[in-house]
Amino acid sequence: MSASATRPENGPSVQLHDVGMSFGHKQVLSDIDLEISPGHFVALVGPSGAGKSTLLRLLNGSHLPTAGRVSVLGSEPATCSRRELQQLRTRIGFVFQQFGLVGRLSAMENVLMGALGSLRMPRYGVSTYPRDLRVRAAENLERVGLLEERFQRCDTLSGGQQQRVAIARTLMQDAEIVLADEPVASLDPSASLSVLETLRRLSAEDGFTVVCSLHQVDLALRISDRIVAVRDGAIVLDRATSQTDETELRSIYSDRAAA
Amino acid sequence: MSVSTPVRPAPVTSEAREPRPPRAAVATWLIPLGYVAVALFGTWWIAIDLAALRDGASDISRLLARMVPVTFGLVPALLGLVLETLWIALAGTGIAALVSLPLAAAASRDFTGPKPVQWLARGLIVVTRAVPSLVFAIVFVRIFGLGPFAGALAIAFHSVGMIAKMMTDVFEELTPAPRESIDAVGSSRLQSFVATTLSRAMPSVSSLVLYRLDINIRASAVLGLVGAGGIGVALQTAIGSLNYHLAAGIIVVIAVLLLALELISFLSQRAVAEHAHDGTVAELYRRTPDPTRPGWNRGRALRTGSAVVFAGALLFALTQVRFDPGRLSRSWQSTLDLLAGFVPPVIDPAVVTGIFESLVMALTATTVGVVAGLVIAVLSSPHLIRFAPLSALLRILVVLIRSVPDVIYALVFVAALGLGPFAGFLALSISCTALAAKFFTDSLENVDPAPLRALEATGASRLQVFVSGVWPRFVPSLIGNSLFTSDLALRESAVLGIVGAGGVGFVLQESVATLDYGTTAGVLICLVVVVVALEAVARWARKKVI
Repeated sequence: MSASATRPENGPSVQLHDVGMSFGHKQVLSDIDLEISPGHFVALVGPSGAGKSTLLRLLNGSHLPTAGRVSVLGSEPATCSRRELQQLRTRIGFVFQQFGLVGRLSAMENVLMGALGSLRMPRYGVSTYPRDLRVRAAENLERVGLLEERFQRCDTLSGGQQQRVAIARTLMQDAEIVLADEPVASLDPSASLSVLETLRRLSAEDGFTVVCSLHQVDLALRISDRIVAVRDGAIVLDRATSQTDETELRSIYSDRAAA
Repeated sequence: MSVSTPVRPAPVTSEAREPRPPRAAVATWLIPLGYVAVALFGTWWIAIDLAALRDGASDISRLLARMVPVTFGLVPALLGLVLETLWIALAGTGIAALVSLPLAAAASRDFTGPKPVQWLARGLIVVTRAVPSLVFAIVFVRIFGLGPFAGALAIAFHSVGMIAKMMTDVFEELTPAPRESIDAVGSSRLQSFVATTLSRAMPSVSSLVLYRLDINIRASAVLGLVGAGGIGVALQTAIGSLNYHLAAGIIVVIAVLLLALELISFLSQRAVAEHAHDGTVAELYRRTPDPTRPGWNRGRALRTGSAVVFAGALLFALTQVRFDPGRLSRSWQSTLDLLAGFVPPVIDPAVVTGIFESLVMALTATTVGVVAGLVIAVLSSPHLIRFAPLSALLRILVVLIRSVPDVIYALVFVAALGLGPFAGFLALSISCTALAAKFFTDSLENVDPAPLRALEATGASRLQVFVSGVWPRFVPSLIGNSLFTSDLALRESAVLGIVGAGGVGFVLQESVATLDYGTTAGVLICLVVVVVALEAVARWARKKVI
């Protein structure tokens, strides 16, 4: 484990020990052990229904594990109060497949929403946010290449642009870790690659950790430092990206019966 | 309406059996049958027969003759009351909209706070929705005294239920993704609600509040009958002093006011439809040299401008109805007295008979209205008869009839025919006919024309096209709208007793006047139960038919 932390945190960003998760009788994850160091870009691959989304949601406390221990940025969501969980979440960015933007509001306002965790009162409209946050929002939009589109309605932007707005929103949080759940599944191949490259560049510049679920093996190989493959709720492969290849990863998707 | 429950559960072998015919068939004949049965009973209870109708017609025409020529009395005073009517509606709607927001948020499925808060919110919505504004007005006049303040509060209380119910539906239709993603940034519940739910619901919420304002102006026009301000005060005075010329003049003023309102809402709906795509212009703010400053463009000016105008109008309306929090707190004692008097509620035979009579009046009038409305709708839609002047004439007639609130019909009929449910039944029948005619005409016109053309092409006659092409697709709307009509009719028939036209309204008004608050509570409880039960039946039937 390298300790190349650009952040004050010295321990691992994420630590899962013997984690299991079930919804009712349905066992979704079992015996998950995982440790992710700060600043790494980890791709989570595996067929749909393997438990990737559930794993990501365990990391921001949307789900609580039914077995084992989950620790993120030094806290355990399971033992947090509502207030503490809120605090923890301001440090964790989350990027969704469906972007999660308010379509009828401007790109700027959607980005500003990322800072709500640092504000006390509710906000309605761009001009209700303090000026320093607006300066940062404009900077972050520039970093994802959308400064010109700042006052456009989000639902008039392309899919790739909308996902960049969502990424700029996580930048407002100064997140130490960004969780991305199939962020490019709704995008065409060229937009997919450029969105992932943006995320990779920002992670390198700001030093935040990324855990990104993907179902495109080729993209995972191009973009990540490390690949974790999940199938049927268990980790079946976990190694540096340079030490695996497309053939090996493809095999995880085929011969399902062998498991 | 009788719903038979099976004595024994059916054996669970359905898979092996023949597929059952669609259940819709049962409801489509059960519901009309129920209506007809109640209507037959109603004719006996209210003592409706041909002789009564003939005598009634001549009594009414004699009264109408006594109303000519119409006079308007002091015109400035009358205009003042018209304005007061508008302020009552505006103040009531505004208060209701503001109170509805948190209530709807708490009642919505997505609410994550304590469950008891959610139950309380849902309960409040159901109860305030079920109680008509005139009923609230009777109670509030007792607490706050005569005048528009009680009226505005009455409008507000009833509208809270209506607006919050519709807002809840709007909130629940929104996709959860934006809310989840803002929850994930560590925002508070309130922040996340405002940023993702309220911001997305805003267009629908504004249009449903405007729609309520329209309905509330209609309701405010008659609040004066119980002394709660507005133009109805003048009408009450004129009728009370048997000045029928003036009463007719005031009814004309009310009708003109409501017709103007109808026109405005028609024109504004058309304008909104024409400009529906303006809302999706890409640029929400003009860009300025400073990238962080949103500039002004037409859209932003319009949004901000209309918000400022509405807020200003609401504040002004509140001053006009003499709304002040001090008054609310001074009335604390009488509110407590009233609430203390509610316990224990008294449900005596008078209350039960009154509620029963209201229900019978409403359902009988609905049956009459549905049949008459159906005839009018068929004649004014182009399926069977294509004679434009007739259709135009019928449409104008329906609009004119609808421009007079049914309590006013009841008031006139009571003056002509004397006290009792017969006057109420006639008034309700007229308004149900107009309402049903409007609903049915709309849905007959919206029947998809393509299959009808195909039938015509096979050489079928107009009647054949109507029977096999139009009717089957019209039946769900016929049943749905009939149920909706009886829902509205029930609330109306509960208040007609205020002018002596039968039903529970009289018991209610008497109980408040004599400080017999236990009976008041009994009436309110029965009313809520019956309205909610009818709604449940309607929901069940709609699910079966549509």
